[in-house]
Amino acid sequence: MKPISTIAPPPRPANPFLTNPSSKTSGAANVPTSGVDSFAKLLSNQVNNVNSMQNNADGMVHSLLTGGDVNEAEVLTAVQKADLAFRMLLQVRNKLMEAYREVQQIQI
Amino acid sequence: MIRSIDISTSALVAQRTRLNAISGNIANMSSLTDENGEANPYRAREVVFQTDDSLTTSGASGVKVAEIKTSEADHRYRYQPNHPLAIQEGEWKGYVAYPNIDMTTQMVDAMETTRAYEANVGVMEISKNLSRETLTILA
Repeated sequence: MKPISTIAPPPRPANPFLTNPSSKTSGAANVPTSGVDSFAKLLSNQVNNVNSMQNNADGMVHSLLTGGDVNEAEVLTAVQKADLAFRMLLQVRNKLMEAYREVQQIQI
Repeated sequence: MIRSIDISTSALVAQRTRLNAISGNIANMSSLTDENGEANPYRAREVVFQTDDSLTTSGASGVKVAEIKTSEADHRYRYQPNHPLAIQEGEWKGYVAYPNIDMTTQMVDAMETTRAYEANVGVMEISKNLSRETLTILA
């Protein structure tokens, strides 16, 4: 029987989040090496995007309420888009937590 | 999905500009002099729309205001010989030139603009609801 330390894990599937899959073979330093890293990066980028959309909407609402020269339709659209983006992120988070609980409940 | 909301917004902005122009036209229906005080009646402003290629998604494009044209239609003349701005000589002697604005046309334009605005808000509502419904796939 082979000792367990000699069993190599199966090759990782190609990272779907990389824009250029061929760069994986070249071993570029800026490419995250593990799927967990790149997913974490993707998630935090997404959080930052949603946050900047919310900040942008807040700024526009502020200038609308203080009599700035902005179009109310554009302001309300920015608010609505920020809301949709946040809901999307919330659903992703809910799904992740669901998966986490699922894993946590595995009986060992 | 968010792109279609942007397209609807561009239409809202454009229709709002048109409504602003109509407000200006109706407000200036009796403006006989220009901003320098010269006897030069106000001329109607007409907003021209154009498709906006910077806002496209799978064949659909947004709309933007191409330019705000000044109507070249003739002034409306009223016979008011004692008016200080009455024309003193020529064919139109004794007449006063009023802006080339027809209240009825402007009001109908305003109604049309309002309906177009409402239609775009309706489309936006549909896009928004679709996005929300789509999110329930994951839930």
